[in-house]
Amino acid sequence: MQQREEVFAKLAEVYDPELDQSLTELGFINQVAINGSDVTVSFRLPTYWCSPNFAFIMAEDIRDRISELPWVKKVAVCLEDHCASAEINEGVSNGKTFVETFPDMSSGQLDELRKTFRVKAFVSRQERLLRHLIRLGFTHSSILDLTIRDLLELPNLESEGIMLTKQYLSIRQALGYDNEPKKIAFIQSDGKKLDLESFPGYLANIRRTRLSMEFNGHYCRGLFETRYSMEPLSELEVCK
Amino acid sequence: MFKTADGEEIFVIDGHIALWDGSPENQLNIHGAQFINCFYDYHKNLSPAENLWPKDKFEKYDADTLVNDLFVKGYVDMAIFQPVFLTDFYKNGFGDIEKNAELAKKYPGRFIGNGTFDPRDGERGLEYLEYLAVNHGVKGVKLYTAEWRGSSKGYKLTDPWAQRYLEKCEQLGIVNIHVHKGPTITPLNRDAFDVADIDDAASSFPGLNFIVEHCGLPRLEDFCWIATQESNVYAGLAVAIPFIHTRPRYFAEIISELLYWVGEDRILFGSDYALWEPKWLIEKFMAFELPEDIQQETGANLTLSVKRKILGENAARLYGIDIEAQKAKIRSDKVAIRG
Repeated sequence: MQQREEVFAKLAEVYDPELDQSLTELGFINQVAINGSDVTVSFRLPTYWCSPNFAFIMAEDIRDRISELPWVKKVAVCLEDHCASAEINEGVSNGKTFVETFPDMSSGQLDELRKTFRVKAFVSRQERLLRHLIRLGFTHSSILDLTIRDLLELPNLESEGIMLTKQYLSIRQALGYDNEPKKIAFIQSDGKKLDLESFPGYLANIRRTRLSMEFNGHYCRGLFETRYSMEPLSELEVCK
Repeated sequence: MFKTADGEEIFVIDGHIALWDGSPENQLNIHGAQFINCFYDYHKNLSPAENLWPKDKFEKYDADTLVNDLFVKGYVDMAIFQPVFLTDFYKNGFGDIEKNAELAKKYPGRFIGNGTFDPRDGERGLEYLEYLAVNHGVKGVKLYTAEWRGSSKGYKLTDPWAQRYLEKCEQLGIVNIHVHKGPTITPLNRDAFDVADIDDAASSFPGLNFIVEHCGLPRLEDFCWIATQESNVYAGLAVAIPFIHTRPRYFAEIISELLYWVGEDRILFGSDYALWEPKWLIEKFMAFELPEDIQQETGANLTLSVKRKILGENAARLYGIDIEAQKAKIRSDKVAIRG
């Protein structure tokens, strides 16, 4: 039982890069089978056509996160009902890279794509927090002056604000900016400073990113629920 | 025609409809089954319960059903066919330009039958494009850049052959290029965030209009960005508009965003029939008001005049339709009488 919990804790660290939500939260994990030191994880996506590159990233992250568990020797990943299921399952379970898996259909690895979507996640988490602060009555200039310490010590942030702060700071760090207390809290994704004059334009731009990401979340979740709610859970046997 | 409570007439052009055959008899392989299943999931997910179709009707419906749903029940005055063939998935194609043309002939003034091309068809396809322009008077094409063709999983508008096709379109007066921006265009690693090909094509062909169907969803953000840069890029609302029912607040955010970045003159209504029926979409859209906080944030306003543009005037401009003349023409045709 404990092994199972450990596996699920690891799966909670795997995110759909396009939606910035974890696979466990999204319900994408269909089944986990543990046989001694072998773990098989099956997962499924909202449509048969979901971009193979994102599917590959998720499959690879499942494999890598679970492999971090000391007792695990072998991880098999099984993406179900997808137009590239066969290639992705074979590739990821045998430790192949994206380019090795799709030699004729790729012109490089997925690092750039990962980076692009990490930046989008940063921007959209930042926007949600900024919106929250503005709604609470903070002025633009007071927001831009906040250090990390100020942000962490703000009174009356409400539980939503505390959660948004936590999410923002974690991606801020993932993007390579340290969260030292004296550092300015709000910076652009490339590390540049924000200034008061261009801040309204900046807000409009980042709103577009946040909205796009959130909208995709609704879109994908809705399709996922529609696709699977009426059907019986498919068995692991399907992919053997 | 939609009439407001004050008796004002709103002329409606449905910019995105299809008469398809996704039935099991026509499916070539599992991809054909999965394609229509995915469409059906969209339909089920976003339609109001009272507008759900049974699966077999959804897979294949007849022309009478279409005419009835659009023109008799659905307030639509004119509709634009946006065909896709999907020849790797369906035996006789998913859409059929000749069937569309027959229907257009039977109901004069009601349909605009667009064509389609695939640059991977080479010289042969250029000839076909010419045939479409000469024999069917085609003024627009629907492009499905994610269409599979053997080992190829899609193409880009920047491919040399695509450029030749766009040049040909310009020569033939096919000025409206409707591009479905959906998932999977090779190479796969660049997929899902790259809309640069629309940007590039729109700059290279300023004489053509690029209507991005589904506003680039799920890449709304990138779409807004290029549409702001290029004045000949338009937003097709198909797939975005049904969110008005399940997620009204998100729809409000989306439409405000489009109004803010793209502007009221470059947004086109499309039901994506038979994915969704225009009747409920139009009723809900006409009744829709933007929440005040969103209005304040973006400064966008969804007035009656804006709705009028989105529902008909913008498409009319692109297709050279004189709305008053058209109203007179169809006022007493056989469909209007049925209504």
